[in-house]
Amino acid sequence: MKNVSKIIPCYAADSSGVCSALYELGGMTVVHDASGCNSTYSTHDEPRWTKMKSNIFISALTELDAIMGNDDKFIADVVSAAHDKQPAFIALCGSPMPMMTGFDYDAVALEIEAQSGIKTIPLHTNGTRSYIEGASEALLEVVKAYAQPCEKRDNAVNVLGLTPLDFPLGTDTAIKKWLADNGFECVCTLAMGDSLDNIKAMPSAKVSLVVSYSGFAAAQYLKDTYGIPIVCGVPLGCEYPCDLAGALFWAMEHNEDYFYSAVHQSGGDTVIIGESVFASSLACALESDRRGRATVISTLPTDERILAQGDVCLSAEEDIEKYLQDYKPACVIADPLYKYIVPKETAFLNLPHFAFSGRCYERHFTNVIDRRLQEILR
Amino acid sequence: MIKLAIYGKGGIGKSTCTANLSAALASLGKRVIQIGCDPKADSTINLLHGDPVLPVMDYMRKYDEEPEKIEQISKTGYGGILCIETGGPTPGLGCAGRGIITTFSLLEELELFKTFKPDAVLYDVLGDVVCGGFAAPIREGYAEQVLIVTSGEKMALYAANNIWSAVKNFEDRSYAKVRGVILNRRNVIGEEEKVRAFADKAGIEITADIPRSDDITRYEDMGLTAVEGDPDCEVSKRFIALAKTLIEEDENK
Repeated sequence: MKNVSKIIPCYAADSSGVCSALYELGGMTVVHDASGCNSTYSTHDEPRWTKMKSNIFISALTELDAIMGNDDKFIADVVSAAHDKQPAFIALCGSPMPMMTGFDYDAVALEIEAQSGIKTIPLHTNGTRSYIEGASEALLEVVKAYAQPCEKRDNAVNVLGLTPLDFPLGTDTAIKKWLADNGFECVCTLAMGDSLDNIKAMPSAKVSLVVSYSGFAAAQYLKDTYGIPIVCGVPLGCEYPCDLAGALFWAMEHNEDYFYSAVHQSGGDTVIIGESVFASSLACALESDRRGRATVISTLPTDERILAQGDVCLSAEEDIEKYLQDYKPACVIADPLYKYIVPKETAFLNLPHFAFSGRCYERHFTNVIDRRLQEILR
Repeated sequence: MIKLAIYGKGGIGKSTCTANLSAALASLGKRVIQIGCDPKADSTINLLHGDPVLPVMDYMRKYDEEPEKIEQISKTGYGGILCIETGGPTPGLGCAGRGIITTFSLLEELELFKTFKPDAVLYDVLGDVVCGGFAAPIREGYAEQVLIVTSGEKMALYAANNIWSAVKNFEDRSYAKVRGVILNRRNVIGEEEKVRAFADKAGIEITADIPRSDDITRYEDMGLTAVEGDPDCEVSKRFIALAKTLIEEDENK
């Protein structure tokens, strides 16, 4: 029963991760579900819902369709909607019920693509995993489908893993400005403020900057296919952004990966809970700005190279609670909803995470890129 | 790589044929995996001398978590054949088809094929293609060919026809194709003519003709396949001949 949370909520689901990652790319995303996933996604997981149009559809799967395996109805509905909307591509993803009936996304995507003539991408979500896994697969597949070989451009950088589930709206602008201020050209900010044309040009970059683990698989693909090295980190605080810019130059020059979020020394009296790239970058920023050392609890899927030695991966509420009790930190930095499993005597700094607390703290969201820590942590 | 799914009516001898074919392939020096896709979990028992492997679903029920290594859910049997059973839910509860899908996802996560590097993978599938779960072995990436086991009995041929139609329905999906029929003789009147009539109508061939033989029962009572028990008996020779045909086809692909 380790996955049962009695106090804290769960993170946004993998299907929300897919929708969020593909929201601005001009495709049509279809979630195969009765419709519950749609309201959860639009109400809790998507701040752009009322501000920007996107083709997000729900299949309205009925009990009878699920029992009878009426795939033809789903295929006909998707082809019909695609005919009306003429999207650049179609993405299919799913929820628990199709998982139970063994819906074959790959095969159905083949049929839809054959009937509609539109590129169709199957994504294997089931509504039970985290947004990271959904967004990660979506970004990987869209890069696989659209990135094209092209000439390298000097100091060109891809940013990967940027979705509103991890970063406030406007982060794409802030990160482009930070890159420009440091002498880089931004090719793509996958997937906020971006387009398929920019994705096509991603192989022209000389380095990939991964800002959340959602972007790691796509960055790995670009490395394996086009030889683009990976740097992990988010420019936070005063000193760390300069160091991170240096890491980007170093990676370009040596054509080697640099997991720059892992350069902090774990330990100290602070614990940061959250997504691995962001949380470990924050630990780096604390150290660089001489605010002490911190240990990261990565609560979502990650690659251990992104974390420093001594950081831990814990996802179950009881494990996180016990770790904090044993660690006895002076301060915890996390989404406010984690406060309820933190020892009472521990100081708590709020860092709202949209994928965790949704709109609860939306008005407290603030741009974090290249900003002083006292402005980020309140 | 030979990737084969064996379907047929319940009780027609799918597990017997699959295990003997696996043993025949192994006796010809091939690295073989046999995956039993039946909640009864008895597909590989005669490759394991009667000492069964812990089925995947039983592992999950027992430990309440997914296995982390192939060794936890497999056993090596005759000729180095890697034996795996999906198993199933508690009889009368849950969803057996879903169990097969879960097992297949798990085997993919554990990178079974990459690690074991088999020459042949045989899926022994329960009865009919009754739902999505039982079609999982013929999905892209798993079996490429289907062999349907049938006798000349009416219900066996009826089931064979259902299986053939179901697989044909998936033509647009890059699923496996029906390779042919294994005629597992029950010595009914006009048996060969009846099976041949079905095969001709379906446009498939009788790939193997297995005579009714007490050798199979005798060696199964000893926890063996006939191929292991007596490779020179007539039944074993037929399975070895089938294995040779499949190997030759695979090499000429």
